[in-house]
Amino acid sequence: MHISPTAFPWLSSILFCCLGGLITILLLPGRRHQEIKWVSAFFSGLTLVLTLNLFLLYDQRVGGLQFVERVSWIPSLGITYFNGIDGFSLPMLLLSGIVFFTAVLTMWELEHRVKEFFALLFLLVTGVFGLFMSLDLFFIFVWYDVSLFPMYLLIAIWGSTRKEYGAMKLTLYLLAGSALILPGIVYLVVQSGLQTFDLTALMRADLFSPFEQKLGFFLFYIGFGILAGVWPFHTWSPVGHVAAPTAVSMVHAGVLMKIGAFGILRLGIFLCPLGWLYWAPLMALLATIGIVYGVFAGLRQTDIKYVIGYSSVSHMGIVGLGLATVSVEGLNGAVFQMFAHGIMTALFFSAVGYIYDRTHTKALDELGGLSHTMPVASGYLVIAALTGIGVPCLASFWAELTVFIASFRVYPLYATLAVAALVVSALFMLRVLQRTCYGPPNERLAHLGDVSLGLGLPRMILVAVILLFGLFPALMFELIQTASIPLLNGLPR
Amino acid sequence: MMDISLAAALTGLLAPLLAFALIMVLLRGRPHLCAGLSIAAVGLSLGSALLLLARHGASPNPLEYSVQWMVSGDLAVGAGVFLDPLSLLMMVVVALICLLVQIYSLGYMAGDPGLARYYGFMSLFAWAMLSLTLAPNLLQLYVFWELVGLSSYLLIGFWFEKYSATQAGKKAFVMTRLGDVAFLLGILLVLAHLGNLGIREMNTAAVAAAFEPSTLTVAILLIFGGIVGKSAQFPLLTWLPDAMEGPTPVSALLHSATMVAAGVYLFARLYPFFSLSPTAMAVCLAVGTISMLLAATMAMVTRDIKQVWAYSTISQLGFMLMGLASGSYFAGVFHLTTHAGFKALLFLCAGVFIHHFETNDMVAIGRAGGRRQLIPLVCMTLAAAALAGLPPLSGFFSKEAVMAALAAQPNPIWLGAGLLGAFLTAYYAFRLIFLIWFPDRVSAETAPENTDAHGHAHAQPRWQVLVMLVPLVVLALPTLGLGGLQTHLMSFLAAGLTGPEPVLPHLPWLPLTASGCALAGLILAWFEFGRRRAPRIGFAERSAFWRSLFAERWYIDRFYRALVDRVIDRGLARLCAGGDRHVIDGAVDGLGRGTVASGKAVSGLHRIMIQHRLGTMFAVIIFLALYFFI
Repeated sequence: MHISPTAFPWLSSILFCCLGGLITILLLPGRRHQEIKWVSAFFSGLTLVLTLNLFLLYDQRVGGLQFVERVSWIPSLGITYFNGIDGFSLPMLLLSGIVFFTAVLTMWELEHRVKEFFALLFLLVTGVFGLFMSLDLFFIFVWYDVSLFPMYLLIAIWGSTRKEYGAMKLTLYLLAGSALILPGIVYLVVQSGLQTFDLTALMRADLFSPFEQKLGFFLFYIGFGILAGVWPFHTWSPVGHVAAPTAVSMVHAGVLMKIGAFGILRLGIFLCPLGWLYWAPLMALLATIGIVYGVFAGLRQTDIKYVIGYSSVSHMGIVGLGLATVSVEGLNGAVFQMFAHGIMTALFFSAVGYIYDRTHTKALDELGGLSHTMPVASGYLVIAALTGIGVPCLASFWAELTVFIASFRVYPLYATLAVAALVVSALFMLRVLQRTCYGPPNERLAHLGDVSLGLGLPRMILVAVILLFGLFPALMFELIQTASIPLLNGLPR
Repeated sequence: MMDISLAAALTGLLAPLLAFALIMVLLRGRPHLCAGLSIAAVGLSLGSALLLLARHGASPNPLEYSVQWMVSGDLAVGAGVFLDPLSLLMMVVVALICLLVQIYSLGYMAGDPGLARYYGFMSLFAWAMLSLTLAPNLLQLYVFWELVGLSSYLLIGFWFEKYSATQAGKKAFVMTRLGDVAFLLGILLVLAHLGNLGIREMNTAAVAAAFEPSTLTVAILLIFGGIVGKSAQFPLLTWLPDAMEGPTPVSALLHSATMVAAGVYLFARLYPFFSLSPTAMAVCLAVGTISMLLAATMAMVTRDIKQVWAYSTISQLGFMLMGLASGSYFAGVFHLTTHAGFKALLFLCAGVFIHHFETNDMVAIGRAGGRRQLIPLVCMTLAAAALAGLPPLSGFFSKEAVMAALAAQPNPIWLGAGLLGAFLTAYYAFRLIFLIWFPDRVSAETAPENTDAHGHAHAQPRWQVLVMLVPLVVLALPTLGLGGLQTHLMSFLAAGLTGPEPVLPHLPWLPLTASGCALAGLILAWFEFGRRRAPRIGFAERSAFWRSLFAERWYIDRFYRALVDRVIDRGLARLCAGGDRHVIDGAVDGLGRGTVASGKAVSGLHRIMIQHRLGTMFAVIIFLALYFFI
């Protein structure tokens, strides 16, 4: 009822675009693989255009919530269909749009159950988009589960290495997370006495007692933290990444893990700021352990996707450390890192996926010499690895730098450890490159062709995004600031 | 007025970046166009560097142009250019040597299948190095500091099919990264106390007030850690000799003349800031001295021609740091400048020999008739004499300046070490020269005419020989004449320094003593390697103990190997990976099994015999009764 006739419902149109893609795919006959792929590419491309459009239309001088849509759904329970985006959710929408489109393109060579695959992928992404734009706790929870449920099937059917185990482990972990989130939501809604699930209404500073905030934050932190790969709840993530097919790994590491961090931010920090302040030291501790632990564990891996999985644990630790600093710089860095890491892992998995489809192996020992046969394909891998190391002028450098700067003021010891982990991360990433791309020409792989322009397109887009935000970090920081500065200013101290 | 300078600086900086982007994205299939583009770009950089030098060389006020690169909360990072005598001088040196090396590479790398990639990486390096040189703040400097490290990694591992090359690239990156971690922590510390990272702001005396003295020392030493890594000083020195796995022009450009000198440049850049802490300066002096002597000993026993020059690079960088750390800004920067010239020359000459004889072994080169390559050999002899510090070559003057600074130190041990270093330098430099000029036997006139490992035919076109010789001759000029410009350079550089340069005592005996030491080294080398009946085995090589100590690089490499193997790979990494599998996953899987088991137990309650079910019902009723009635 609050959709004003003049404003176009941009946010809902993204959801409808995903649903439209889903329905069109379901209507197509399953054997028409090409048509299904083109339809998927069209609708995912359209969502990318829509998110880009939002990125351009969002007024940074005004800041705050924009493109708000509100329709009352179940008034007796206070549930509304309530969407809106701010400087935190917009980067996530953009990230989802980019990763979704490139993931669809990456799966262009899929031949097995094409229709089901893309249908489930669209369903998954609908949930992701819905979650990032929704401002109603009920809907957030619903979207969360919508995005989790297809994951099990996607991994169990199209996956590889120990796929049943990986799928089951991932699903159980994430359900355990939602078993903490739901009580958290219900608890806060009931305690507020407002009869509403409206996030903005529940954000009023004096609504919850300190105890309620501490409890609520803890539930959200652990619940969403499982999804964000917070140590020690991270072990589902390497296993899940390895088992998943390429596009799912991309969406999963690129976007779904960000849902976890975003949930902590949107629910935990927005609703329970006192809980945030209270639990921040614990967050910093776990995040630092994750950063250091991830790089060391990654050093021992022999499967290239495991290596990426553990580097994700480490990189998501940087997000956690940024959030734990309770500062503008830390939040900026954390959200930027969510974005940058999403793009980077998408590129990583996409590059590895291409190589895996050709060589049918992910074992580091069996690869080697790829730069001879597929220089461009391994070039993408090199760029992804360099981004992971934190080479300047590639996106995640700025995110890591700001987090280091912010955390050095608050937790000098943790920051020192996190910075020192850079050496080990360089060591293991370069080892991966040395064993895959470099070395004498590999006869077993000599007949394989390099990536063609069309198949290389998704990786090209991702590299362009990494370079764009690496060279012009202000594009992203200025957007995030519109949300982080008001949040910090409104903080009860 | 200002706009022309700004435009020149931007052109000089961005032209190589543009070349890099074009080469990597569009032109990979056309290597000759890539080479031309890259050379044109760096030529443009040199032109703008010279223009800037002409316009601002005499001006006492540094120029700074900055724009906001990124703002995040309180943190603002600027990007821009900072033009003062030091950065202008460095810019000219970097651009000149980049240009010469890229021209030389036309001949050296001719026919290599990766030529386009090579010139792409060279352009990337030129961009990063020039931006580092002109950085107005420490963060920009750090950004490009990392990027030159990256281009170094890419260029060392350029022949990626060679395991040793990729290994060396990785080692270089990780070891310098270790120093960079310290550097970054130092930056964070300075930022936390000062709130600003501008070079100009850091170089004021007022900075000392913002720090506790001990914190200031720690911050300086942390930043110095970055210098240790980048300039391959003790204890992070062993990556540099391994970096010789890269193509020789790369060694000439990155691993001797410019990139490794970036560490020394940073020291000079922050010289007033560094001199705020005498403790830190003392540590720097000690590190420079140790590195200088260690590397000189290593150079005495190796037979690999590039290795000798690599060790001597470490040693000379140590000399520069000694000069700076003992309080003479001018000595360090002057030695940096002269060294860039003659060291690039040494490597480029070595490249001619390696290219022609297909071996790095100096003895083999001598026996194969190395002295028939007259122009390179003469150039190399000149440059080696400059390296040894023999008058009237450039190295004599700059090394003399360093010695004067050392002589001003209260403790004579530093001067003693410096003189010993001069002796060793002359010895190992002329050991190499004599082994090529006067081999014990010259093989028959069968110069190899076949193709070498990288597939270029050896009957080289004439133009290729020529493009390799011209840069040698050009570089020989500053080696000969730069010493004469000492006073000019001194006043030029002094204009950019805020603090007062200490007046060094004029010691007439010092030049004589220093060049006497060098001459002694030369004579010893003559007796051992030059004269007709020379044993051709050095004094250090006779004893097995010393030989293995020096050849094994004082066992520093073994220490690192063991550290990575035992502590990191088999220790911490195994701990974390094993912890993941057994402890965390073990607990989770155990929880899963426990859940299944308890489910079975519960299901057992109402599945088996009727008396069990009745028992369960009875128990439940009892419990409910207790709950409701009590």
